[in-house]
Amino acid sequence: MANSLKNNYGATFKRSPIFFILTRVVILFFLIIIIFPLLYTFSLSVRSPETVYSAKFFLIPYEFSLQNYYDAFFYAEERLKVSFPRMFLNSVIVTTSSVILIITLSIFAAFSFSHLRFPMKESLYNVMIASVAMPAQVLLIPLFYLLIYFGIINTYTAVVLAYAGFLIPIGILILRMFFEQIPKELTEAGIVDGATDFQLLLRILLPLAKPAIATCVILLFLDTWNEFIYAMIFMQDPTIHTVPVGLAKIGTSRYHINIGTYSASVMITIIPVMLIFAIFQRWFIAGMTMGALKH
Amino acid sequence: MIYKKFQLKTLLYLLPALFIFLVFNVLPGITSLILSFFDFSGFETSLFKKFVGFDNFIKIYEDKYFWIALKNTFLLVFGAVFIQTGIALMLSIFIFFGNFKFSVLIRSIIFFPCVLAPISVGLVWKKILEQDGVLNSILGLDYSWLSSISLVMWLIIMVNTWQWIGYSLVIYYAGLQSLNIELLEASDIDGANWSQKIFSIVVPLLWPTTILVMILNLIGGFRAFDIVYVLTRGGPAHYSEVLASYLYYYSFAAGGPNKMGVGASVAFVIFACILTIAIARVIIQKRIEKN
Repeated sequence: MANSLKNNYGATFKRSPIFFILTRVVILFFLIIIIFPLLYTFSLSVRSPETVYSAKFFLIPYEFSLQNYYDAFFYAEERLKVSFPRMFLNSVIVTTSSVILIITLSIFAAFSFSHLRFPMKESLYNVMIASVAMPAQVLLIPLFYLLIYFGIINTYTAVVLAYAGFLIPIGILILRMFFEQIPKELTEAGIVDGATDFQLLLRILLPLAKPAIATCVILLFLDTWNEFIYAMIFMQDPTIHTVPVGLAKIGTSRYHINIGTYSASVMITIIPVMLIFAIFQRWFIAGMTMGALKH
Repeated sequence: MIYKKFQLKTLLYLLPALFIFLVFNVLPGITSLILSFFDFSGFETSLFKKFVGFDNFIKIYEDKYFWIALKNTFLLVFGAVFIQTGIALMLSIFIFFGNFKFSVLIRSIIFFPCVLAPISVGLVWKKILEQDGVLNSILGLDYSWLSSISLVMWLIIMVNTWQWIGYSLVIYYAGLQSLNIELLEASDIDGANWSQKIFSIVVPLLWPTTILVMILNLIGGFRAFDIVYVLTRGGPAHYSEVLASYLYYYSFAAGGPNKMGVGASVAFVIFACILTIAIARVIIQKRIEKN
């Protein structure tokens, strides 16, 4: 259906050869600009250390080798006391606990905003929406001292709670909108059948809210997995560095680093995300679009 | 609403999320504003001892690099709001009306950088832009791009746009998919050509989407820190510093002045900028609704 519609009003555009050529040239140009930096970094990472400075057409290595990837692991551990497996483990721990915590609390709070009554509801909601626009760096200094005061600085908990405070409003925002779109007849039927509010949430709303929850999971996963400044400042102990923090250390260290090792280090962080994206790309794009449209 | 009146058990649903939001977002937000009137450094345990009035603000007012950071922040926001939005609008229209065989794949490729960590993206570009990097090999130049005071901010804008263009693109694409096609069909009958169609029908109809994309990019522009951090660390000297990175430099950077109070006053300025924009947005929205 969508496709036939598209071709329908694409018809006059099809008839114009200028438009046809223009679109091809422009899109090709942008595709090259997007792909080249990533492909080039990948190319650097699979060259043998001896031939790292030369390649055919900038991209095709003279000698393929995975030596740089071995070097990247050892360089990180020996020079900077960070290890890639450890970084990934830390990121997985921080990301999963943040996402689970934020989603769970947001579901309950969003339900109270959409289906229950309490004083000052709308003004509280507006404060939450307003806080979404604030850059995370504004909270950096007071959060740092707050986490010291609680005695949890340099622990996973510190970063998870900081993320939760920052991201819970987004979760509530998306889920409330979705809960309110669910037809009233369904909840009213549940009430007639004598369901408690908790059963209503668990049995009726949650099964219907799966797409909204998926959207939230994707947005929160990206935000927490890629987050840098909180993770860097609240977890300064190298054994609990997340992937972006460890990578930034490798990439900006004062020690000499071979360009092949450098590129392999960057690719180690990009390739897993690329694989996940390849599998779930539809959900990623739909999730981020939906997240944006809810603003 | 399930209940006609407020019930105490409602709080059980609300309070856990509200508690974390208040303690880890609202409380530090307010504290940050207050702290900008105090002098303290990273090693002190009692923060509210040395009240210094407006000294921190006077300090940044007299700091030439603060003004550069402020100017750079606005430049970056300008780049995100106008350049990124403009290119995304063009690309989305081209892909949507261009009858591409692989339009889904094209969108996915352009979108892909959005899911990467800005740190990874910054490091990819850092090697490309370095003096012995591949950009100079391709262009046959020997130019130190990232040490150029006049160019460095534009390079940061370029890398930022490179990463986030796909985000604006997919939002525009969603806007195009929900477009009213009757007007386009009517213009077919009137014999409008493709450029007339784009400029007098599609672009005006997309105006609400354009506003949304601009607002999102504006917020994103103020957030940008990671790319600056790995690409230049605010250098050369402090000429590519933005407010967020200058806050970091003043309060946390190794080898920085370690003046947390001054950092808090920079945070105050960021806060004030966002607040001004938010209020302007509400006023503009109300005026549009009136008309």
